[in-house]
Amino acid sequence: MTNHWIDIKNADAILIMGSNAAEHHPISFKWVLDAKSRGAVVMHVDPKFSRTSARADFHVPLRSGTDIAFLGGMINYIIEKDKYFKDYVLNYTNASFLVDKGFDFKDGLFSGYDPKTRKYDSTKWAYELDDNKVPKKDPTLKNPRCVFQLMKSHYSRYTLQKVSDITGVSEENLKKVYDNYAATGAADKAGTVLYALGWTQHTVGVQNIRTAAIIQLLLGNVGVAGGGINALRGEPNVQGSTDHALLYHLVPGYMSVPIADWQTLEDYHKANTPASNDSQSANWWQNKPKYFNSLLKAWYGDNATKENGFGYEMLPKIEKGQDYSYLFLFDRMYRGEIKGGFIFGLNPMNSVPNSNKLRKAMDNLDWLVSVDVHNSETSDNWHRPGVDPKKVKTEVFLLPSAHRLEKDGTVTNSGRWHLWHYEAVPPPGEARTFGYMVVELMNRIRQRYKDKPGAFPDPIVKLDWPAKFDAEEMAKKINGYFTQDKKIGDTEYKKGQLVPSFAALQDDGSTSSLNWLYTGSVSEKEGIKAKKRDATQTPMQAAIGLYPNWAWCWPVNRRILYNRASVDLQGKPYNPAKAVIEWDGSKWVGDVPDGGWPPLATGKGKSPFIMTVHGYGQVFGPGRMEGPFPEHYEPVETPVTGHPFSKQLHNPCFKSVTSDMDILAKPADPKYPIVLTTYSVTEHWCGGGETRNVPNLLEAEPQLYVEMSPQLAQEKGIKNGDGVIIESARGKVEAIAMVTVRMRPFKIQGKLVHEIGMPFCFGWTTPGCGDSTNRLTAFVCDPNTTIPEFKACLVNVRKADKLTEIS
Amino acid sequence: MPKSFFIDTSRCTACRGCQLACKEWNELPPNKTKQTGSHQNPPDLNPNNYKLVRFSEHLENDTVQWYFFPDQCRHCLEPPCKDTIEGYVPGAATQDPETGAVLYTEKTKEVPFEEVRSSCPYDIPRKAADGRLVKCTMCNERVSRGLLPACVKACPTGTMNFGDRDKMLELAKKRLAEVKKTHPKAMLADADSVNVIYLVLDDPKKYHKTVVAQRSDGLSRKQFLAQIFAPIRRPVEGIGQSKS
Amino acid sequence: MLLNRRDFLKAAGGGVACVSLSRMGFDLGPVKAYAADLKMDGAKEVISVCPFCSVSCHIIAHVKDGKLVNTEGDPDYPINQGALCAKGAAMLSMTRNPHRAMKPMYRAPHSDKWEEKSWDWALNRIADLVKESRDKNFVEKNDKGQRVNRLEKVFALGTSHMSNEECSLTHQAMRALGVVHMDHQARI
Repeated sequence: MTNHWIDIKNADAILIMGSNAAEHHPISFKWVLDAKSRGAVVMHVDPKFSRTSARADFHVPLRSGTDIAFLGGMINYIIEKDKYFKDYVLNYTNASFLVDKGFDFKDGLFSGYDPKTRKYDSTKWAYELDDNKVPKKDPTLKNPRCVFQLMKSHYSRYTLQKVSDITGVSEENLKKVYDNYAATGAADKAGTVLYALGWTQHTVGVQNIRTAAIIQLLLGNVGVAGGGINALRGEPNVQGSTDHALLYHLVPGYMSVPIADWQTLEDYHKANTPASNDSQSANWWQNKPKYFNSLLKAWYGDNATKENGFGYEMLPKIEKGQDYSYLFLFDRMYRGEIKGGFIFGLNPMNSVPNSNKLRKAMDNLDWLVSVDVHNSETSDNWHRPGVDPKKVKTEVFLLPSAHRLEKDGTVTNSGRWHLWHYEAVPPPGEARTFGYMVVELMNRIRQRYKDKPGAFPDPIVKLDWPAKFDAEEMAKKINGYFTQDKKIGDTEYKKGQLVPSFAALQDDGSTSSLNWLYTGSVSEKEGIKAKKRDATQTPMQAAIGLYPNWAWCWPVNRRILYNRASVDLQGKPYNPAKAVIEWDGSKWVGDVPDGGWPPLATGKGKSPFIMTVHGYGQVFGPGRMEGPFPEHYEPVETPVTGHPFSKQLHNPCFKSVTSDMDILAKPADPKYPIVLTTYSVTEHWCGGGETRNVPNLLEAEPQLYVEMSPQLAQEKGIKNGDGVIIESARGKVEAIAMVTVRMRPFKIQGKLVHEIGMPFCFGWTTPGCGDSTNRLTAFVCDPNTTIPEFKACLVNVRKADKLTEIS
Repeated sequence: MPKSFFIDTSRCTACRGCQLACKEWNELPPNKTKQTGSHQNPPDLNPNNYKLVRFSEHLENDTVQWYFFPDQCRHCLEPPCKDTIEGYVPGAATQDPETGAVLYTEKTKEVPFEEVRSSCPYDIPRKAADGRLVKCTMCNERVSRGLLPACVKACPTGTMNFGDRDKMLELAKKRLAEVKKTHPKAMLADADSVNVIYLVLDDPKKYHKTVVAQRSDGLSRKQFLAQIFAPIRRPVEGIGQSKS
Repeated sequence: MLLNRRDFLKAAGGGVACVSLSRMGFDLGPVKAYAADLKMDGAKEVISVCPFCSVSCHIIAHVKDGKLVNTEGDPDYPINQGALCAKGAAMLSMTRNPHRAMKPMYRAPHSDKWEEKSWDWALNRIADLVKESRDKNFVEKNDKGQRVNRLEKVFALGTSHMSNEECSLTHQAMRALGVVHMDHQARI
């Protein structure tokens, strides 16, 4: 979230799209309804009428996978009706930038596409630069090569009629949402976008969010109270686990993992440190070497020296463009290329697409360590239904882990708040924390490499690694220490002192930090700030519910990101009643500003979007795989053979693998005419391994169901409560029919298209509740994130003669 | 002054925090349930669920309405179940004079369940495996110690409210006036006779058959009470009198 | 009086305090006749965070004689203000759940059953497997002859259930081994 949970109350319009907030983030609705009672309009755009829709002012059903068409239509509407916030667009976004001649867009493809590699050469999307290598701008926004005009022309194709035709949303409903939301383009109005996996889990996931970001920039809704782009993150510490990069492509703090071409630390920095000659650009990532070197210093301690590149050369380096995420991991496992591995607190046999293939792939492992609070479809895959355990060679460990209430440590919520949790009771039986296990195991591995050298022992034996897991010590190490006495400005820091803020991190080895974003989370004076329970705030802060003294948030306790975009060039808030920050003549008051520079009008200021090279919000986003402007493409499995915007049916860059078990339905496949979308339920969490084993929760949602419209049910001779079989090109699943007026058929290009919805939390280890819905879904992914398209695939449904999975 | 709940269904998201909080606080055993084509589960109040969020959906004028009704004992000002129970076993049901909570004791084991159940205009009482009659207790032990009932404490949206009766009535009336602007059929269910005051946005029958006190034969609460008390063996003392 | 948040633990630097009933709520006046003992009387209050969605609602765990006796929302935490959804409200039975995995379990190749093992045995065996897999499969250089230090045949998945401190250590450990197949819930 650019903003935070409480801040939702400050919105004048709330667009919940790609999210079912009331069901999956129930407490968010405390703040959504707070805003509503202050007069905010709450809109829910989603295929299904859910508990979110029930409390919204109105629900607008749209077909899964057509969000860019819907939002592209809104961009067109905002520009056509002149609803955008002109000062903001001109001063804070790249709308005025001139784009170089290489950029072009023709029939669904941008310039630079290579159909052989299915990749773009994004250098074709560069800006026109002046002699100082700063992008040229046209402040009149009239130059046909400026971003604004290119955007206007791009989205002029997204007419109400075309959008309606492909999304299944009536023109009247489109206008209702567009009108209500576009009204937040006024300087003193704010609109917030709440999204979740309903946007990310598509082959156009990143571009779904980009489209919303463009709208937010056009309306001046980023940086303000009640605004922002707010990812409602789905899991308990998924913000923190992303910050600390349990991901193949990153190291902690959103820095790229080294690739083979960057053999030395110097190579790494050269490739990863952006430069800008614009004196008005903070270009924050220019500090990356300080953060990266401090990370290496924390990993390797005294063994990280300037001379050895702080241990950089010991790190693994991936191949450029190679993908090591779930999609490719499980494909390689299926092919027998993976020996063993760890699965911590995760149930991929239920929660990752194409379960049938994945379950088979796991049989090829020599060993597997599953760490969890319960047995799951993953830990117990070796004796799943229909499989003879005697034929499964895998050596399997189930290590019992502690529950949240049984351990100390911090999590980071979706609003980036860093929060301490205390151990209430010890874990039951012999259950242990993940921290205990990782530390103990690594110490045993280290000992083995010390005793008996094997393959390249250095990165293991030279680690700065604790003897025992201690959450407080780790929290401090994440914050970072001075590794030697150091003078910064007028302040002398001693070796062993905590680093006060990431501004003090150094690239010379004099500081260490396991994650620069968290530098400042622990201080000599206040200790671990995640433990702070101080609700005090100034009247200005209280007016927007900022709570700056409650816990701490990254970065540097800034509660609303890009907040210098909430003020005009003089530093006056656009909306004084809900001011985030204000320049009082000598300093900023309110939230922690995005850098303390004075307002831009003084000539000494910096543009507010400090994480971008040029300092501007990116209406034009040349960093994405499939183009700088989001364009509508159909899901890989689609009920149509064409769409009104171009001949390019799918995202030209989507990721997939090929195997005998990766079968896809063809467009408008008569065997699979129905769209399936999948989701969570309030009472269960993700793959359900944890909550299904809580009888009180299972009581409330006991068995797998499929929500379908009365029209479809009638067509198929299905009654409410009947057992049904849902079938895709990859598998079939039993479920109980929930026939409901909350699901409605769509009229797409003049034809009726049915959509059904199913949760994915049920699995065979809970007897009689049904089994993985993901046996149906296709493992095809967004090219930027490799997030699978869980939200749209094709199926058929029929009444079951008998049920074997549900009883 | 008795305590009252004000349950504002116009704010309910059916997150079922209340349903689970009730179950957890009272440490009630789970039921083995099945999916029968509804999110409402367990399907009805039962000895292991004193609180149940009921779901009902309607399509009218091309608009979906999905209504949520967190059902529970109304803690009637003049509880007919208590009178029925006491007609059989004096002292088997009580009403806390301070909080207004209607409470059943162990002695309800000796009372014919069906008569008690049918005496309740909201169909609340259930019989536990050990023979006791059970239902929501208003978390009286919590309330008497200054804590909110578990369901109210858990509610994120302001649906569940609890406090002195006059304050709850005031809040209910204020909310009713607000929602009436957009929902002209909105009403407070039996506010004068119960300590659990529901605000519904539409015809109460669209939520559940016993949102307001009447049976399927359409009797009003008054007629209903007159009828059910007729055969009781012991003279009924509470009818028509104020106890406060 | 409409009941709202209670004023508790405001000054506490830690998340642990003894229940002080006089401060626990609102003075509704004692109701002697029906005032029963509460299960958390005399319990220690410990602040935790709900382990589900990323609202991170705060939960107070009541611990008496070393046992968890009750959980409910933390009324002071400004986001949930005491409220919890169905999952958060089920924290007591979730934590005390007898179905929990309580001992390290081992399933030998081709076996049809789990066996209980000691931590020591399990961790030593896993350490052996990791070293063996790494020593046999470590990729020092790629086809171009560039130094790459990869252990491609061993993977690590999960988890957003880890605390930040645990995530940080897990990342560090896996990169040290050379693991490149690393992923978790953020991508699904």
